Amino acid sequence: MNGWTGKIVKVDLGRGTQEDVPVSDAARRRYLGGRGLGVRLYADLCPVLTDPLAEENALLFMTGPLTGTLMTSGRTQVISRSPLTGTICDSSSGGSFGAALKGAGIDGLVVQGRAPKPVYLRIHEGGVEVRDAAAFWGLDTQQTQKGLQEEAGGKASVACIGPAGENRVPFAAIMNDKDRAAGRGGLGAVMGAKNLKAVAASGSRPVDIADPAGYKDLASRVDRAVDKNPVTGKSLQVLGTSVLVNIINAHGMYPTENFRRGVFNDAEGTSGEKIAETLLLRQSSCFKCPIGCGRTTRTKDKHGEGPEYETVWAFGANLGISDLAAIAEANYACNELGLDTITMGGTLGCAMELAEAGAWPGGPRWGEAGKLADWVTETAHRRGMGAELALGSKRLAAKYGRPELAMQVKGMEIPAYDPRGAQGMALSYATSNRGGCHMRAYLVAPEVLGHPVFLDRFSTAGKAELVALFQDVSAVVDSAVLCRFLQFAVGISTFAEMLRVVTGLDFGDEELMSVGRRVYTLERLFNNRAGFGRADDTLPPRFFNEEFQTGSSRHRRVRLEEMLDDYYAVRGWDRDGRPRPHTLAELGL
Amino acid sequence: MRRRVGTTGLDVPADDVTVLALLRLAEESAGRAFLDELLDREQGLLAGTIILVNGDNVRGGDGLRTRVRAGDKVDLFSPAGGG
Repeated sequence: MNGWTGKIVKVDLGRGTQEDVPVSDAARRRYLGGRGLGVRLYADLCPVLTDPLAEENALLFMTGPLTGTLMTSGRTQVISRSPLTGTICDSSSGGSFGAALKGAGIDGLVVQGRAPKPVYLRIHEGGVEVRDAAAFWGLDTQQTQKGLQEEAGGKASVACIGPAGENRVPFAAIMNDKDRAAGRGGLGAVMGAKNLKAVAASGSRPVDIADPAGYKDLASRVDRAVDKNPVTGKSLQVLGTSVLVNIINAHGMYPTENFRRGVFNDAEGTSGEKIAETLLLRQSSCFKCPIGCGRTTRTKDKHGEGPEYETVWAFGANLGISDLAAIAEANYACNELGLDTITMGGTLGCAMELAEAGAWPGGPRWGEAGKLADWVTETAHRRGMGAELALGSKRLAAKYGRPELAMQVKGMEIPAYDPRGAQGMALSYATSNRGGCHMRAYLVAPEVLGHPVFLDRFSTAGKAELVALFQDVSAVVDSAVLCRFLQFAVGISTFAEMLRVVTGLDFGDEELMSVGRRVYTLERLFNNRAGFGRADDTLPPRFFNEEFQTGSSRHRRVRLEEMLDDYYAVRGWDRDGRPRPHTLAELGL
Repeated sequence: MRRRVGTTGLDVPADDVTVLALLRLAEESAGRAFLDELLDREQGLLAGTIILVNGDNVRGGDGLRTRVRAGDKVDLFSPAGGG
């Protein structure tokens, strides 16, 4: 078999059994792998309302047909039901763990059941072993990875949880290859609830390629396209993702103090340019990646990876903090303890507004940079103020009687682009299948950055079609499993060509887009059955009722009602946001 | 681009000129070439270049022919992306 290995292994940690998961050729064609096949398998294995932390819940680590082949092909998609939101959730991580799973001979790993005591899984070309993890339980993610790599003679890639996952914090991350994170949605808590500390994978089984000459030629062309593109070939290499700080701030949509303002007075002091001047040791790259957006950094006392744009914002402008070293150290703490930085920062922003409003007098205060890393640590261990912060913003705000102060969609915190500055992003957030997510449909690209074309960010015209299109393309890339940053340099036709040369399967653009549409619709169906509908495709009241008074997004409100019905119509869903029978039939769902 | 320009900001004496003319004046004022970060060989905007005049993207109006006046704030960003 070309591209895929043809093997997915299911391990039941409670029963102590393993079996192969049969997948038909038709299913591979319809869902590819990664996110698509992962969501399909999850939906087949688990009833919709399965408690995310129950032993019968499934946690999937998936690769795709392109994993281990072309550039950026080391990524992994982790899938389960999110303990933070209750929606279906896939979480993508960079690095090389996905390539290690493929090298070990598997397309994916499904974990069900709960081990009676802490274990880790050791995957190699000979199979999957369940091993005692008592020596690692309680260690942070860096210590765990180091220890397991030493046991494997330095040859394994390790995905693991830290104390946050062990303590089932609903936004716990799974970390791999030092500081790469499957961050959003709290799938680290699902792993912790199974007493599964880590998965260590290694192997050198090559991926079979259908058309080796075509593959070599395509790889060269993609390499040139990436190198020539000013984003992938220059901006991300030189300044990393935090290049966006000054840009988004200049557009008046850089969320400041829990989205109360759109301009941060010290954006410059926490920008990618400032990181390059003061903290940067060197850039870093994932498996087979020439883009190299990663930043290896150090402060006076610590070092690590990042912070990325979202984290610089989450611990910076969102909290009224301009101490870049404190932001970096909070980032390192999240990576070590295994926590999603966006939800951590979003929850802190909510908490600070609750405290200021008098709703939570014991809560944290704006601008307290010196306490940031401590709050992160306390959250991971569910102690002190962290016991409250570990609720996440939605539950925290509800507890203190001010639900409107949680900047979240479907329970997941909104990232670093204020939707009053980009109407398409408003629709993207509201209709994201996993909650407040900027990556499902990154309309920032055309609305702010001018990729692939420039669109009026304040207009709602045409945004419904575009959000649906971007959601579908992103689902394709997540199912083939490559890095989304490639989308700055190449389009859907190139992804179809990649699949053709590797797998031998000829996807036209239309068929590939229908794969994306199918994946997105399946996720939606799952969420509908879990109780989500039109009422959840919305944003916090702040975005409809409050306007900035300064900055270039001033006097704007989100006009979701102008776009939502059009979006449902484009999707072939009814007015309640439920896929119509003919839509399901067309997609074979 | 900052490394090329050598500064994070420039005051350019000008009034009622096009953005393109302003860019050329800015390059003279900086004493360093940097317009290839923003413009293509035909002196049009590179895909992804962002030029804001008082916060408004010139692509939404007259592009490089947009007129700027004394006191206007012009932000220049070479193509960038992220997540």
